[in-house]
Amino acid sequence: MSDVTATPAATPAPQPRTAKPGRRALARFTSNRLAVFGLIVLVLFLIFCFLGPLFYQTDQVHTNLSEASLRPGERGHLLGTDDVGYDVLGRLMIAGQTSIIIGLAAGVLATLIGSFWGAIAGYVGGWVDSVMMRIVDAGIAIPATFLLLIISTIARPSVPLMILVIGLVSWLVPARLVRAESISLKSREYVLAIRAMGGTHSRAISRHIIPNSVGTIIVNATFQVADAILLVAYISFLGMGVQKPATDWGAMLTSGISYTYGGAWWLILPAGFCIVLVVVAFNCIGDGLRDYFDVKGRLK
Amino acid sequence: MRTLSTRRWVATVAAAAAATLILAGCAGGADNGGDSGASNKDNVTYALPAGTGPNWLLPMSPPDKMATHNKALKSTMWVPLFEYDGTGGAMDWDKKASAAKSYEFSADGTSVKITLNDLDWSDGKPVTSRDVEFWYNLARYNNTKIGGYSKGNMPDNVTKFEINDDKNFTLTFDKVYNQDFLLANQLTLIYPMPQHVWDKSADGEAVGDLDRDEAGAQKVLDYLFKQAEDMSTYATNPLWKTVSGPYTVAKWTDAGQVELTANEKYTGVDKAKIKNVTFMPFTSADAEMNVVRSGDLDYGYITSAQLSSKAQFENLGYKIDPWKGWSITYMPYNFANPTMGPVYKQLYVRQALQHAIDQKSISDVIWKGAATPGYGPIPQDPATDYLSDEQKNNPYPFDLKASEKLFTDHGWKKNAQGVLTCENAGSGADQCGDGIAAGQAMNIVVTTQNGSQETDNMMAEIKSSLQKVGVNMTIDAIPLDSVLTEAQSCKTGGDCKWELVFFGTAGSWYFSAYPNGERVFAKDTKWNAGQYDNPEAEQLITDLTFSTDKDIAKKYSALLAKDLPVMWMPNPVYQVSVIKKGLDIGGQQDPGASFYPQRWSWK
Repeated sequence: MSDVTATPAATPAPQPRTAKPGRRALARFTSNRLAVFGLIVLVLFLIFCFLGPLFYQTDQVHTNLSEASLRPGERGHLLGTDDVGYDVLGRLMIAGQTSIIIGLAAGVLATLIGSFWGAIAGYVGGWVDSVMMRIVDAGIAIPATFLLLIISTIARPSVPLMILVIGLVSWLVPARLVRAESISLKSREYVLAIRAMGGTHSRAISRHIIPNSVGTIIVNATFQVADAILLVAYISFLGMGVQKPATDWGAMLTSGISYTYGGAWWLILPAGFCIVLVVVAFNCIGDGLRDYFDVKGRLK
Repeated sequence: MRTLSTRRWVATVAAAAAATLILAGCAGGADNGGDSGASNKDNVTYALPAGTGPNWLLPMSPPDKMATHNKALKSTMWVPLFEYDGTGGAMDWDKKASAAKSYEFSADGTSVKITLNDLDWSDGKPVTSRDVEFWYNLARYNNTKIGGYSKGNMPDNVTKFEINDDKNFTLTFDKVYNQDFLLANQLTLIYPMPQHVWDKSADGEAVGDLDRDEAGAQKVLDYLFKQAEDMSTYATNPLWKTVSGPYTVAKWTDAGQVELTANEKYTGVDKAKIKNVTFMPFTSADAEMNVVRSGDLDYGYITSAQLSSKAQFENLGYKIDPWKGWSITYMPYNFANPTMGPVYKQLYVRQALQHAIDQKSISDVIWKGAATPGYGPIPQDPATDYLSDEQKNNPYPFDLKASEKLFTDHGWKKNAQGVLTCENAGSGADQCGDGIAAGQAMNIVVTTQNGSQETDNMMAEIKSSLQKVGVNMTIDAIPLDSVLTEAQSCKTGGDCKWELVFFGTAGSWYFSAYPNGERVFAKDTKWNAGQYDNPEAEQLITDLTFSTDKDIAKKYSALLAKDLPVMWMPNPVYQVSVIKKGLDIGGQQDPGASFYPQRWSWK
């Protein structure tokens, strides 16, 4: 005899509505308020620097000594003028273009070099890894600012040169990070499988190792951009940046610093705040992206 | 990882906040008034130029010890035969600071009889003609060891030194010279030196007349140079205790800090008013300005950029007094440049470029008044009889239209990028000129010293003006030493690619009192870096030394102001001095950069 008790039919639990992957990603990113703040600040700065000159037109090529050192509001200059007569608000815009372009391009360049270097070192391993990473160690031991100052002394500073130089001294950290990822990924089944099927090493690296490290790479890239913007500011502050009439926020700071005791705050604070805000914005975005790519973050 | 990342941006914000607070703190300091610092009326502290430290005290110097501050210090201890300075408002003979009382040239101009003042050495012995002869003998037998020696000049040009009596002697020259040249540039090199103490070749040796033969004179100078190399004994070595000037050394450190104390036995008319004077060395202008802000310096300097914060220093109890130098400032053209040399050789090109330099605005706005426009080879401030009307009145005033017209009248036309290009090559009056090919663009490169905001701004202003004319100027900012090396590259077998060089942030060339240009604009001289070659100018430069024509300097001034061997630039001051309000420096600051601390006094 069987004593079978009929169990009541289970009521199906209401299934959560499956959101599209894009929306989920956006939701995860926007749940980090600092990241949203960073993104908004960055977008505002991009608009200010790249679209601002279309609406607030000033001559940032020719000096105008008859309008030098005006206070904010004088003769129509909202943020005054500097010591050779450039409108400070207009100059903040074009300086921002230089800082952001160099920062972005150098950050991307550093990330690309570092990613490939680290991926190859980690994937190949052995003596190749040792040699490649000792090069990285040696590079990290040399202060980037010192190298940049030497190069700026030898060569005439320009935007392309600064992108190249900053990119070439900043790839060391991403190389280390991606190498660590690469060592972990190279023993995964899908990497082993492609090798078993006759796939080449370069295919394994470009199609599997690097794409699967993209979280680490993107997060680090945002920090690279922020660091590059700071490096540009350092070099320019030391007088080795782009030459006039070009400028960047660091160069504006160094021009204004002599007037600190004269109360010319408009020559120092706006450029300083721009550097701080953009760097903080990139860091916040990086923080948000890290949460986004972090598995633990996804489970929250 | 989150913690690290969060730390990262928190650290960034914290750093920014800290920087803002520091700035705010610094700015707040601007209002701190007060009158701290040395108020003891027996003492005064003076800041030496940044990066310089006095390292020689003997009146005769080897070539590497010729710094201006060395000369300024030793003149306070050993009175030169003739001193020329601008403390009276014009570059002139300063009788109070000279050992000579009067002079008289012979009718034929080949000799000069000099009478000495009633000066005594600090050991009580009188300063005599023999002491002057001692200098002359050491100089003539050791000429190549002595800094400032120029073949054919002092002492080579003296054929006879004749002692008439203790206070009178006669110098006979090999030919007739311009008297201003002799007095201001040659006789100023001579210092009466205590023969009765120094004429020996070893410690403990009896003093004799060793200087009167070649071997003996060489031994004596070697001995004196050896003694003078030990700065640590400057205050204790008995040799240096015998002085004729208003001060003597109390302390002299290897780092270059010098303390002078009044010579109680001084018998001249330029007696010290403040007993102790301390000269402080600094490694940088910023370091010096920090001490000024602390109020611990009585007589220092600030950079001209700080003139915008004048009130800060005035509130600290200082008065601001720009110290004008007896100098000119310029940018040499490289006439030997393989590509651009032929362009710069055209006078109309140099005229056009000069028309684009707004010297007055640059001096007033960028240098904040701490520079004066300069239009030729003679220093213009203070004005002298050497200055021609042509130079004084600026033959090529700022005029961008005139500048552009000079180009267009000679076959140049702006291309699509707005850069002037030679379209009508040839040597005709309306053509570009010899050696300039059709298609040559006016792209010029200025190699300039870096590290100065004023210079950076000045170059930006010039670049801006030239761009309006159609000249595309590239600025290559490099360290000063590199600029000077570059400027010599054509003469040292280098690539000779420079076009214009600027090394005049503190003035390009400082002159002796008689401002002849033989070391700057004469054809084969080292510092004619651009190889300017004009036979008419060459003749005038020679005449400046030998001609008795009173107007010869004016003719030279007029020619070079018009012929533009270099691009004339605003001449920055020697330094912007800050002087404690109670300190009277007894006249104007000497454009020749001497200090004369004996004339300072506390009110």
